[in-house]
This record gives sequence, structure tokens and C-alpha cells, in this order.
Amino acid sequence: MRRFLERLLGLDRRWIFLFVLLSVAIPIIVPIGLPVTTTESTRKAFDFIEALKPGDTILISFDYGPSSAPENDPMAEAVMRQCALRKIRFIVIALYPLGGLNLANNAVAKVVSEFPDLKDGTDYVNLGYKDGASAVMRRMGDDIAGAFPTDQKGTPLSQIPIMKGIASLRQVQLVFTVATGIIGEWWITQVHPQSGTPVIIGPTAVSAPKYYAFLNSGQLVGMLGGMKGAAEYEKLIRARYPEMARFYTTTHDFTATKGMDGQTVMHLIVLLFILLGNSAFLLSRRGAPR
Amino acid sequence: MTFNLGPVVLVLLFAVVPIIGIFLGLNSPGLRSRIPIWVAVFAGLIPILAMYIPKGFLSGQTGMSQRMDDWLIILAGFALLLGIVNVLQNNFKKVARRDSGWFYSVVLLIGLFVTGGAGIYGAVTKIGIGFNPDGSPTPFKYLTDWFFQPLQSTIFALLAFFMASAAFRAFRARNVEATILLVAAGLVMVGRVPILELLAVPFPSLHASAASASQAMGKLTEWIMDVPNGAAQSGIIIGAALGAASMALRVILGIERGYLGLGKGE
Amino acid sequence: MKSAGCITLIGLFLAANVFAAPIDAPATPPPDLPLPQNLIAKDKPGDSGGAVVLRWTDPASLPAGAEIEVLRAEPPANEWQPLDKVPAGTGTYTDTSAKDGTAYRYGVRTSLAAADSAGAVSVAASTSAPVVSEPVSSHDNWFKIERTNSFVASILFVIIILGSIQVARSGKEIFIRRIPGLNAIDEAIGRATEVGKKVMYIPGIQSMDEIQTVASVAILGNVARSTARYGTDLDVPNKDPLTFASAREVVRSAYLAEGRPDLFREEMVNYVTYDQFAFTAAVSARMTREKPAAIFLIGYFFAESLILAETGQSTGAIQIAGQADPTQLPFFVATCDYTLIGEELYAASAYLTREPVLLGSIRGQDIAKGILILIAIIGVVLVSIHVLDLSPFLRTQ
Repeated sequence: MRRFLERLLGLDRRWIFLFVLLSVAIPIIVPIGLPVTTTESTRKAFDFIEALKPGDTILISFDYGPSSAPENDPMAEAVMRQCALRKIRFIVIALYPLGGLNLANNAVAKVVSEFPDLKDGTDYVNLGYKDGASAVMRRMGDDIAGAFPTDQKGTPLSQIPIMKGIASLRQVQLVFTVATGIIGEWWITQVHPQSGTPVIIGPTAVSAPKYYAFLNSGQLVGMLGGMKGAAEYEKLIRARYPEMARFYTTTHDFTATKGMDGQTVMHLIVLLFILLGNSAFLLSRRGAPR
Repeated sequence: MTFNLGPVVLVLLFAVVPIIGIFLGLNSPGLRSRIPIWVAVFAGLIPILAMYIPKGFLSGQTGMSQRMDDWLIILAGFALLLGIVNVLQNNFKKVARRDSGWFYSVVLLIGLFVTGGAGIYGAVTKIGIGFNPDGSPTPFKYLTDWFFQPLQSTIFALLAFFMASAAFRAFRARNVEATILLVAAGLVMVGRVPILELLAVPFPSLHASAASASQAMGKLTEWIMDVPNGAAQSGIIIGAALGAASMALRVILGIERGYLGLGKGE
Repeated sequence: MKSAGCITLIGLFLAANVFAAPIDAPATPPPDLPLPQNLIAKDKPGDSGGAVVLRWTDPASLPAGAEIEVLRAEPPANEWQPLDKVPAGTGTYTDTSAKDGTAYRYGVRTSLAAADSAGAVSVAASTSAPVVSEPVSSHDNWFKIERTNSFVASILFVIIILGSIQVARSGKEIFIRRIPGLNAIDEAIGRATEVGKKVMYIPGIQSMDEIQTVASVAILGNVARSTARYGTDLDVPNKDPLTFASAREVVRSAYLAEGRPDLFREEMVNYVTYDQFAFTAAVSARMTREKPAAIFLIGYFFAESLILAETGQSTGAIQIAGQADPTQLPFFVATCDYTLIGEELYAASAYLTREPVLLGSIRGQDIAKGILILIAIIGVVLVSIHVLDLSPFLRTQ
């Protein structure tokens, strides 16, 4: 028994890796379809955008790279779909240096193909990528054209209908930053005090605990924490707009809701390992010679 | 020609003063080591003053603070060149000396030249790094989509495995604090995902109870994240911000010199 | 002749009115609209220019639906151009499109959309004449008024720090609590020397514009002095090129200061790559191959923190981590032997060198924290008993 406990305590981590791999892979192949419950931080974000009027404009900043795309892509797509449904205009930028622009282009192309009525320049515009994140944000706080003189295709901002009347972030109703790392925090600590524009953040799950402090202080109006937050947002969209089910329940594409199956099984496996480890630890302490 | 005060002051502070200092310091190493400190003082003071003084020459679009931000981007570009030269030097040396693992240096150098070459090709031909005129991906985009992105995702995915092994090793009830950590982590892990519904899948009569229990766990998790976690995060953020302000003040006043490689009294 | 001409004229007049095409009944005549009063236009104080603030008093009795229309006249044409319409009761408007140095005149007038004879559809806006301001031009100012609170707080903070430094310079003993992570630095380097393996120091993945990286590079100087003293090998992989350049100079200076320039090699401080996860992969592989005895993970890390720390843990190295940002701290605490939390990172140079001036600044920082805690407690009590809410005074813009 003692030997068994010692072996359990010193378990080769590769056994744990194997169980983690199976717990994530099997639900992808055989979906379980577990329900998702929503949290207040996500509901606040959803309700804020729902309360915007048709014709209002939001800025969506792609501040993440390919590494966190499974968590962040569903958030960006969900919000853009909501904007398309509510006729809210959106301006897309990318501030993450490695891969942010590619992800922004892919996400915009995907949503635009789903809503053929969306017109580039009138309903949305993609301003592309700019280096220097915090300097770019501060410049946009006073003068967007100073930071992005043209859109991605080279059209000057003065010739783009959606930018008429929008000189700075003060004329934008919301900034939605989909972020991994520090860039998301800069929107909250630097841009929000400067321009007063409300901010919603979609961070990775690892960063989400930190942003509860900003949520509580009112510096954020909502948060989508990790893949769970994205899955919650997808659920809220389906509940409010049942016609959106075709993008979430019948599609072969990856969605955050599908990813939650794997995450749930993995949480269960990790909890079991923790329980096993603690049981072995406590039993070995009890049986240890004085 | 209009006189623009901001750039003139910047050139004075960051070019003229250091150059004079270098000449004066040719015979005096002590004075020469003061020059970086003065540059740090000016570089630190200007953005702080720009925060409170909205005058155009200081905080305007072409003001001193904005220009310094632009200079930082240019500096970083040149420093990247320095870094690349260092990578080339180290790896060529490794290959030449046939040090252990020299083959990986060959792979690195091939990757560097192929990717860099693809990017330069896109710039020279003015096609860019996205799509060709016929809609096909450029070599750079091909490398990004099929090499870079999957590799990045793979390394990030390692987090899941390492988190599980770290949790197995670290979440042991060794003492009171560790037990509190363990219980809180367990509650949050159960509350964030529908574990209870998953466990109730083979038992249809328990589905409703599992759903309400899961909802209750979710609310408890939200409370843990909002209240204890939010309070702790706020405390650490405020403390760290004060520490950062104090450190920044020490750098600006020239008291903190360790990052320049200067020791006590230097 | 004359009378025939008059009769013709009268006849033509009657014909024009009797036989002319019928017209819609005229719109309901507009009521007499009262004028706004006391219009004052001034440059917006405390801004960087381009804005003029208008204030006026709305008239006492305004019809329902009335708005106040704001107009602007620009020299040399001086033609009135409409700027905006604001609801009655607002009393103020800020023109943010003014050009600095241009003397504008502003006007405000009451505006009411009129109903047609059917009383349903508005056919025209009817307005009263504008009340005009004196000429005014916008310009940038010397101080941002909305940041007065943070300016006062900053000045107080500087005074406290400088005061504490003065007290420290006077020779007074400054107590600083034990920080186990910093005490363990020498132990870690000593262990690496004993087993003949290298020390690996990773100064975070951010650039030198991040204060945590500056603090980390300062600690690197101390670590490099120790490795120079004991003759231990040092490896400092870098993700950021500016940090790489600074780290190299710091390590070179440290070896020079210890009188061991012969031990310094350029490859000690090396640049890996700018990509976060490529850097992580390279450093993890290096850790696994070369098995350093001591690993320092001090600086600003993001998602790669757990990968690096767990890989280091698997090699059996003693690990000391430190980060001010709380995001990655739980991973470091779970995988490393010692962790510097929050401002302990910034206190490191004072702790390791024991310079009175640096210790004095730590003490000043603690005094400032004490004052903040006091304000927080007072604020919570005041808002709980519904006396006063301090948050508007503490909000920064």
C-alpha cells in the first residue's frame, strides 16, 4: 500500500499528459452537447451592445495572435454578428504585431460572407494593422486619421462614409478589445480615462481574473473571460436571435460552445488527479513513522 | 518656415547635450557615465509633463511626447537589427565549431533566411505579404498559415498539459493556506464548467438537480472571482503600481542606476 | 388714360389672386419664440486647443419640442453656419472643430419645427433670430484642469519619497522586511557553482519601456556580479532586442566591476527571437538540453510563464520567479521555489544593495500606500453611512 501511495505521489507526468490529451480529443470527435450557464460579466457586455442604437459605431481591436485564436476568434465573430444583426457599424483594427492582422482579416471575411448585405465602408471598415500599440491608442483618442490615415485598401478615411463624423474615439460608442497580453489592459488604463469611451474586453482565460478588479471599479462595462465567456456570448446570441443557431449548432466550424465539452471533461480529469494526489498525500502522512 | 519648439528642444536635449557631454567626458569617465542618466531624466520627465501640460509643443500631435513615442519605435527597429545580427553570429559560430546541437542552428538559419526572403520578396515586388493579384497566397502568407500559426498554437496548447501536471503537484493540502488554495481552486473549476451535468449524463432523473446545482456553483464561482479574487487583484495591482511609480521616480532622478550597469557610487 | 391704367392694374391684381394656381393653406404661423439669454463663449480651459465652450440661459417658457440651435460664423465671410441642435435645458455646448487662433462668433437661437394646417407633419423649422457672442478664438492651455487630482497626488507622492530619501541620507536605520526570494539568490548561484552547471536568467518578454524589465535588468546586474565572483556560467536569453542590448551591457559591466572580464563571453547574453512562443520553445528546449542548476524568471511574463516554469521544474533546477503583474503569479507560485510578488520586484535593488537612498524610497512608497489605505477606509465608511462619495474626486481623466 505504501509503495502504491509513493508511486502515485511520484506519478510520471506523461500519464497526466495522456489523460489530458484524451479528455480534450474525445469530446471533439464525439460531442457531448453540455449546457452553458451565463455569468454576469458576459451578460453585462451583451446587454451593453444590445442597448446601442442602429447606426451607432463600435471599434473592434484584434489584440491577439494565432496562439489564442480558439479562445478569442469566437468572441470577435460573435460580437460582429451581433453588430450585423442590430445594424451597428463596426471599425476593425489590429494592434497585435504577429498574426493579429491575419486573424482580423479572416474573421471579417467570415462574418461578411454570412451577412451579404454588409457594405465595406458603410456598415464596417477594416483599417488594418499599426505598430506601436499604446502610442496608436493615444493618437486615436484625439485623431483616428492621425493613426490610420487610410483603410487597409488605401482609401483615405475622409472618403469612407462610416468615418464621417468620427474623428476620434470620443465619437465611438464602444471599444471592444479581443486581447491576449498587455494591449487589452492599455485600452482600459490609457484610452478609457482619456476619451471616456466605454470598454469591453475579451481576454484569454488566464488573464481574466485580473480584469475583475477593473470590472468592479467601473473601468470596464463587460468582459468575456476566455472560451467560457465566448461560449456564454454564443448562448446569449442564440437566445436573442434564434436564426443564429445555424452558425452555432449545425455548423462544422469550431465554436466556443463545442470547445467547452473538452474543457469540461478536462476539468473533471484534473480534479480527479488532484483528489487522487491529495488522498495519497494524506494517507502517506498518516502512515508515516513518527 | 514656422518655428516648431518641440523638435528643437528634443534635438537639444537628446543630441546636443549628450554630444557635448561625450566631448567633455573624454577625459572624465565619471562625467561620461552621467550622460545616460541625463538622457533617462529627460526621457522620463517629458511624457509626465505632457500628461499635465496640454501645450501643442509638448503634448500635441507633433509635440515632444508624440515624437519620442515615434523615436522609440524607430529605436526598436534598429535594436531588432542588432538582435538578428547576434542570432546570425551565434548560430554561424555554433555551426562552424560543430558544437553540440549545431544541426538545429542550421535549421534555424534556413528558417530565418527563407522567411525573411519571402517577406523581402513581397516588399520588393510590391505584392505585399498577403495575397497575390490572382488571389493565391504569397510565399510569406503560406509560411504564416501553414508553419507559423500551427507552431504557435502547438506551443500555447502545451499550457493545458503543463497546467494539469502543475495542479497535480502543487495542489496538496500541506498546510492551512495550501488547503484554502485547494478548496478555492476546486470550487472554481467545478463552477466554471458544467461538470455536474456531465456526471449526471447517464442518470436522466438527476439532470434537473444537476442543472440547479451547477447554477448554484456558478454563482458561488462568480462571487469568488468578484469578491476575494477581485479584492486581492486590486491590492496587488495598487501595490505594484506604487512600486512602479517609486521605481520610475528613482530612474528619473538618477538614483536607480542598476539597469545601466552602474554600481554604488558610479 | 390714367384711370384706365389703374383699373387695368387692379384688374390684373384681382385676376392674379382669383385665377392663380391654388396653394396650400399656409403653415400655422410660428409662435413668438423667446430668445436664449446671457450667451458667453470662451476657449475651453485646460485642453490642447481646438475647442470653444458656449454657455447660455434657456428662456423661461419654451414650447414643447423646442430646441436650441447653435451657429458659428467664421471670418472673412462671417456667414452663419449651423453647428448642432441641443435639447432645451442643456444650457451648454462645446464646439470641438474650432481652429486655434481663428476669431469665431457664435450664435444661439430657439428652434421649433412647425406643423402644417393638418397639424401632423412638420413642413419647416421656424426660428427666432440668434443671440450673438463676442468674437472668441481657441488655443492650447498650460494645465489640464481635469487632471488636478492626479497632479496633486503625484506631487504629494514625490514629496513623500524625497522626504524619506532625505531621512535615510541622514543616517537613520531603515527596516525592510525579509524577502525570501531575494535571500535565496546567493543560495541558488552557490548551488549552481557546486554542481558545475549554469545559471539561466530570463528577464521577461517585454521591452525596456516596461518598468518591470528595468527592475529585472537591475537584478540581473547583481546576479551577474555573483556569477562573476564564483566563476559560474551565466546564460541570459532575450526575447526583446532593446532588453538584449541593455542586458549585455549590464552583464559586461558587472564582470568588469568584479575584476573578471576574462570570464565574460558575448554568447552569455543572447537574442533568441521576437515571437513569444518561438522564444518559449527555444528556451524550454535549452533548459531541457543543458539542465541549468538555477533558473531566474524575473520580469514581465505572459502565457509562456507556466511553460517555462514547469519545464524548469522538470529539470530539477532551483527556480526564483518575480513579477509585479498578478496575472501569472499563481503559476509561478505553483511551480517555483521562491516568488517575488508585486512590489517585491521593485524593492529588489534596494534590498540587495542596502543603499540608504534606495531603502528610503521604499519606505516612502510604503507611507504612500498607508495613506491610500486610510483614504480607502474613510471612503468606504463615508459612502456606507451616505454622507459623501469620494469616488468622483479620485477619478482620473
